Amino acid sequence: MAEVLLEIKNLRKVFEDNAEVLKDFNLSVHKGEVVSIIGPSGSGKTTALRCATMLTPISGGSVTYIGKKAVWEENGKICYAPKAQMKEIKKSFGLVFQNFNLFPHYTVMQNIIDAPIHVDKVPKEEAKKRALELLDRLGLKDKADFYPFRLSGGQQQRVSIARALALQPKVLFFDEPTSALDPELTAEVLKVIKQLASEHMTMIIVTHEMQFAREVSDRIIFMEHGVVQAEGSPDELFNSDNARLKEFVGKLTC
Amino acid sequence: MATSTMFSQLAGGMIVSIEIFILTLVFSLPLGLLVALGRMSKIKVLSGAIKVYIAIMRGTPLMLQLIVVYFAPYYVFGIAISASFRFTAVIIAFSINYAAYFAEIFRAGIQSIGAGQWEAAQILGYTKTQTFFKIILVQVIQRIIPPVTNETITLVKDTSLSFVLSVAEMFTIAKQIGAREASIMPLMAAGLFYFVFNYIVAFGMDFFEKKMSYFR
Repeated sequence: MAEVLLEIKNLRKVFEDNAEVLKDFNLSVHKGEVVSIIGPSGSGKTTALRCATMLTPISGGSVTYIGKKAVWEENGKICYAPKAQMKEIKKSFGLVFQNFNLFPHYTVMQNIIDAPIHVDKVPKEEAKKRALELLDRLGLKDKADFYPFRLSGGQQQRVSIARALALQPKVLFFDEPTSALDPELTAEVLKVIKQLASEHMTMIIVTHEMQFAREVSDRIIFMEHGVVQAEGSPDELFNSDNARLKEFVGKLTC
Repeated sequence: MATSTMFSQLAGGMIVSIEIFILTLVFSLPLGLLVALGRMSKIKVLSGAIKVYIAIMRGTPLMLQLIVVYFAPYYVFGIAISASFRFTAVIIAFSINYAAYFAEIFRAGIQSIGAGQWEAAQILGYTKTQTFFKIILVQVIQRIIPPVTNETITLVKDTSLSFVLSVAEMFTIAKQIGAREASIMPLMAAGLFYFVFNYIVAFGMDFFEKKMSYFR
């Protein structure tokens, strides 16, 4: 079995209003694996992803990347990895947002090269070369000097994928990457994600696109009420006997 | 008195008015940014103290603030006040007053930037300071140009309040000449000057706004 890149154990998240959004969430992802997380709104899938990427503090459990603990609970207190280790951990993953969150005052090129240059200290020429390769791969070669507002949603989302890839993450998260897009633009973004899957990029995708999840994933996780209700290969899940899962998948595919 | 003499005297005052205007902006804009950051601080004592400061600056007349700043060294520290302190007192009073207003504009601007920008930067590995100066501030500046223009135009007119400390800026001089000559003309000329000055300020800010609209 390939190396475990991400290990989430007994993850709990309780919000200030005492709503327990995640109860004992577990996930381990191996190198090269594509895992989709599906489930109804409010099931905790986005929260799980935000906790895994440390955008939201956890309430319990632990998150480990490349064998290094990033955040964990110890005697009721939440501990984070020391600064240097955290930096390395944060370098190991990227995240593509639902609303792209491109930097509007930067051109496509600046969006992609700024973090490599100023965070990773990659020489400017090298960063530019890598960015152009990425843009070429994602079909955006002619858009390098455009500001984000001049691009369609699909193009913006592809730029944000390029921006994440430019830091060469080991794991790439997607938080409902097509929820803000119409069907046509959705298709163009999904095509890019499929392409990445074929290149064996390790990905964790929170999505509502059932057919896509079925095609692209090695493993699908069905979440509801803050716990994993079912987990398995796409075929196992889509042909499951689990009544609730059948209902959920059925509603979305017909 | 010849009109030309009047204008040359007013011109001298005009230079002082412009000095007050520029120095106030130079000090109050950065100070306003610091005050805004303090106002948003998680440290309750700091944000509380800054709230009180802003309330006082906005809640009392600027003219009174000018007088208080001018007499403070004497009443608080017992230091004799020299006449040359007048100009300094004007700059201090204007700067701390305008910083309070600018701070609220900065705060509104900073808070109007969605959390997504901070989160995207965090994921990409930027530090908080890098995020603020590289990602957030430029967007804030673009958004706050219209309210800052408002304040700047008000500042041009407010410089006339310096007459209360007898600083020889344009309004003070216009009043003196007007009283001596028993004529309203010097004040009218001053009014024209403020109008032209503000027209230039508005034009400049409009230009800046257009320059900054290269992104949305």
